[in-house]
Amino acid sequence: MERRKFLGLGLAAVALVPASLSAVDFRKEKPDAFTAHNVADAIKGLYGDIKTVDGDITVKAPKIASNGGAIPVTIKSGLDLKSIAIFQDANPESAVVVFTIPATGIVNYMTKIKMQGSGEITVIAEGKDGKFYKTSQKLEVALGGCEG
Amino acid sequence: MGNMKIKAKVKGDTLKCKVQATHIMLPYNAAKKKGVDANFITHIVGKVGDTVVYEASTSQFLSKNPIFKFEAKAEGIKKGDKLEMTWTDLSGKTVTEAKKVKGLK
Repeated sequence: MERRKFLGLGLAAVALVPASLSAVDFRKEKPDAFTAHNVADAIKGLYGDIKTVDGDITVKAPKIASNGGAIPVTIKSGLDLKSIAIFQDANPESAVVVFTIPATGIVNYMTKIKMQGSGEITVIAEGKDGKFYKTSQKLEVALGGCEG
Repeated sequence: MGNMKIKAKVKGDTLKCKVQATHIMLPYNAAKKKGVDANFITHIVGKVGDTVVYEASTSQFLSKNPIFKFEAKAEGIKKGDKLEMTWTDLSGKTVTEAKKVKGLK
């Protein structure tokens, strides 16, 4: 009986935490993800061992980027998501940005990223249903842009 | 001031925002060459009132003067409300700037 009560309390606490937290700094919570040198490790550092599925999530980035210093990447999705992470495999570290999707958020995000060479952008979206959606796009970079 | 350019507009039931932060976003390898410390925005949050509308944990690979474009549901946003953006960089510097949300009657 005691144990059951205890477990119940634990569950309640877990359920409450995400709602009360207004800010999640993934850099502090998951430092491993931001120092990993390849995409697989970075995903592992951020979400743990996960299986990904295809889903309604699109990434828009130029096929050939003339300037690697500022590549516009747009992510759109109609899914109910908790977070989205962008990774790439051209730079020394893989993680680029992790978005936390607020309750009122509509997933139509654009940001500009740097890549020092041609590579592949991988986007992992964490759904509220516990599934992980993955999509990726290869792109060529004419002029690398990691020299500041 | 002058650390950010913020545009926020409500169209229909959608809040559309565009933010450009003025920041050097110097990654580690480039900083090493220059012999200075790397510095980049690590976390950025957008709020209207008390509601968080945007949140990102960022790394060194965003472009210089990075742009963040995003949307959110406009529910509960009133005329005169401000979009408040706050970023923190690696050196610990925190900058907050706010701008009125446009397009509301």
